[in-house]
Amino acid sequence: MSAAVDAAREIAPGAGPATTRLIEAQMRAFPEHEAALRKRFALADADPIFCETLAGMIERIAGETLAAVCDDYRWLAGAVLEEELFFRREGRYRLTSFAEAEALVYADAAYMTRYMNGLLLSQLWWANHTAVLAWFRDRYLPANRPGARHLEVGPGHGLFLHLAASDARTSEATGWDVSPASLDQVRHTFAALGKAPPPLSLVNLFEPSPEQFDSICFSEVLEHLETPAKALARVHDLLAPGGRAFINAPVNSPAPDHITLFSTPEAIVELVSGAGLVVEELLLAPSTGASLERARKFALAISTVIIARRAD
Amino acid sequence: MDDAAILAGLEEIIRELFDDYDGPVTPALAAADVEQWDSLANVQLMVLAERTFAVRFTTAEISGLANLGELAALIRAKQG
Ligand SMILES: C[S@@+](CC[C@H](N)C(=O)[O-])C[C@H]1O[C@@H](n2cnc3c(N)ncnc32)[C@H](O)[C@@H]1O
Repeated sequence: MSAAVDAAREIAPGAGPATTRLIEAQMRAFPEHEAALRKRFALADADPIFCETLAGMIERIAGETLAAVCDDYRWLAGAVLEEELFFRREGRYRLTSFAEAEALVYADAAYMTRYMNGLLLSQLWWANHTAVLAWFRDRYLPANRPGARHLEVGPGHGLFLHLAASDARTSEATGWDVSPASLDQVRHTFAALGKAPPPLSLVNLFEPSPEQFDSICFSEVLEHLETPAKALARVHDLLAPGGRAFINAPVNSPAPDHITLFSTPEAIVELVSGAGLVVEELLLAPSTGASLERARKFALAISTVIIARRAD
Repeated sequence: MDDAAILAGLEEIIRELFDDYDGPVTPALAAADVEQWDSLANVQLMVLAERTFAVRFTTAEISGLANLGELAALIRAKQG
């Protein structure tokens, strides 16, 4: 066995083979990330079975390009660190308008691809991202009604949409995104995981549509928008009466295309209620290694996930 | 400000930010010695130091320092 595999095993002793291979590839591309990976896999909530399923999916999606995808993660970590510096100095996110984020990120295919590849690996390397994805699969989807029509707004890398489309209760799934590169990635994700892609449309959430859905995933999009209250009102209107939404947005989480800063989870919960949605369940997942108390005290990122229902 | 005064100021920041760490704070202290001192926390530490000592670091300085002693020396050099 090679020294690299030995090192990967030592970083995550309880991990399965796919997780170990991914750690090994990531260490080759980004050796400075060792301490972070070590910390992440030392956590009690690093459920090795879910991590292994996820690692297997990521491995298939990355395929032959795994080394490049690991480079993209390294790039993302650097980009996030730069935004973190701006955020700590100024107390706000750098970008303020959707138009800027669209020009800089969503419309730039090369940038967007690199970004979504990085985000794909973050699903495994960032404890809060793993926790959110696991909650989506194990807590949110199983309570959908059989035959549910599911929409994801902003599917990005496509992992959430793939899980939803694979769930036995989903009759139809569809994805809307403003970024052509994101929709291409979703197609690639489905192809790599051996599933026909669902209908995907280049649609902005704010465009009027007569359609309604029983289930909507709206994950890591709210903080990208100038008018989050209006966005949640759209999610409300896109739900059929009794329909459910999985809404995930981070607090204090600077990134190249984040516009709206939420400082507390409660601010997000209030916005969701304010849109007329009934908040049924709440998950607060602080950034890797931090307790919720520490995350609140030092304004660290907390993934705030709400399962909400349209009552009427 | 002399090195001792700068180190005392840095110790205050370290004790507050890395509240699980109760070992000695010396010029040799480095990120690897402190569980909570990851790359994001390092940014917080450096921005708190910027405020405390009225200096400004470059991006390279923020990620490139080996230990607290180097940080103290850099602050002293910047304060002139
Ligand atoms: C950070 S990614 C989220 C990916 C995935 N849902 C997740 O949680 O990891 C944000 C996605 O939202 C899309 N997006 C941003 N603004 C949008 C809008 N107004 N309407 C639809 N999609 C949007 C972006 O193009 C991008 O694909």
